[in-house]
Amino acid sequence: MTDQLPVTLRSEPKGAALDLLHIVRINEEIKAIVAVAFKINIMALNAIFLAKRAGTAARGFGVLSNELRSFSSQLRETMLALNGLIHGSVGEVSVLLQDSRYNGVLKSAVSIVPLNSRLSAVMARRDQRTVEYRGRLSKVRRALRSSVDDACRLVELGGVLAKSAKIEAAYGAGFSASLAQVSGEFDGVVEEIRVSLDTLRRSNFFKG
Amino acid sequence: MKKTEIIYQNGDHKWIAIVRDPAKPDFLIDTNEYLVTHGGQGMLLDPGGLEIFPAVFSALATEFDPSAITGIFASHQDPDVISSLALWLEFNPEMRCHLSWMWSSFIPHFGGTAATFSPIPDEGMTILLAGLPLQAVPAHYLHSSGNFNLYDRSAKILFSGDVGAALLPAEQQGLFVEDFSTHIRHAEGFHRRWMGSNEAKRQWCERVSQLNIDMLCPQHGAIYRGEDVQRFINWFGSLQVGLLRT
Repeated sequence: MTDQLPVTLRSEPKGAALDLLHIVRINEEIKAIVAVAFKINIMALNAIFLAKRAGTAARGFGVLSNELRSFSSQLRETMLALNGLIHGSVGEVSVLLQDSRYNGVLKSAVSIVPLNSRLSAVMARRDQRTVEYRGRLSKVRRALRSSVDDACRLVELGGVLAKSAKIEAAYGAGFSASLAQVSGEFDGVVEEIRVSLDTLRRSNFFKG
Repeated sequence: MKKTEIIYQNGDHKWIAIVRDPAKPDFLIDTNEYLVTHGGQGMLLDPGGLEIFPAVFSALATEFDPSAITGIFASHQDPDVISSLALWLEFNPEMRCHLSWMWSSFIPHFGGTAATFSPIPDEGMTILLAGLPLQAVPAHYLHSSGNFNLYDRSAKILFSGDVGAALLPAEQQGLFVEDFSTHIRHAEGFHRRWMGSNEAKRQWCERVSQLNIDMLCPQHGAIYRGEDVQRFINWFGSLQVGLLRT
């Protein structure tokens, strides 16, 4: 008897296992963005009421608040679509994980009986399947990256709206201070999302 | 690599025991696998866990073409019994897996398709291996609630799954029980704890006493042969099981 680990427990996460860890992190980041998008929606609603109270002086601010509200719901939809792609990625990565586990076990058998023709045939078939699985994962990976890029462009627009709201707040007459505070919060929240999306873009999952 | 030993042979009808892997990590329970061959086909009994597949495969391949295995018999659902299923199916996707109806929707989590599984009804059934009848004998609650042994009337061998299992010390690794009274000490704790029902045990003892058995082959430990078979049945019949000693 030895204290050697079995074939499937020998290494640190790599390949599909590492991809799965990256996906988990991406998913957490998406959840955080969805929560913030919900916050913008509430903030925008309050800003609309505030602009109505401020009257004609804050008409521009009201328009921007409406746009920000619409931005938050678009952002939520984009994030939900990203979530769907994440689920797809988990599916593909799980297939690869199981595939690599089984391949590891079979390779261990090959090291004991290298000349077994049945085993060689099975390995060849499995290698071909692995290539297919990897191709499917690459496709989902590209779709996910493209969706993250779309979300980034959307957030750029959100940033412009928040900055414009800051300018409009200055014309809010007696409500200027309140409007400036609200538009500052918008800006902060959009920046928070931008940082999260940048983190997503840099995920090692997209380097695989 | 495990070693193989032919424990019965009559022409191409063979029972091959696949046992004792010196390279097996200590934290995995040791298991015995059995291959029954007849008419150019093979049936693998309790093929073992995924982690020990390389050791079982390489040993088996020295004796038999793995793609000629047409059936797998799983005494019950435990991972050390059947978690390697998906890999065996790679060698013959048409292979059938015979197991209790209770587990026929659980075991597919280890692999296979709807066509892979041949559910055994509670009362048991005859499974044919190239015309050789093998009888699935009920052993429910010993220890699994849906549990079968496999009896080969022609070879007079009963594959008994976990019944008769012993957790043997490193210095006692013989394939056959040589000294019943010494051996059974390593089986006692296992049977008291794993076997959940005295009534199920009594019924099993009555059932198998009616069979003509030369060898009783468990999934763990050593094989009982000759008079040790009845000795084991008598010992088991009088053992109080389903007990947790704290």
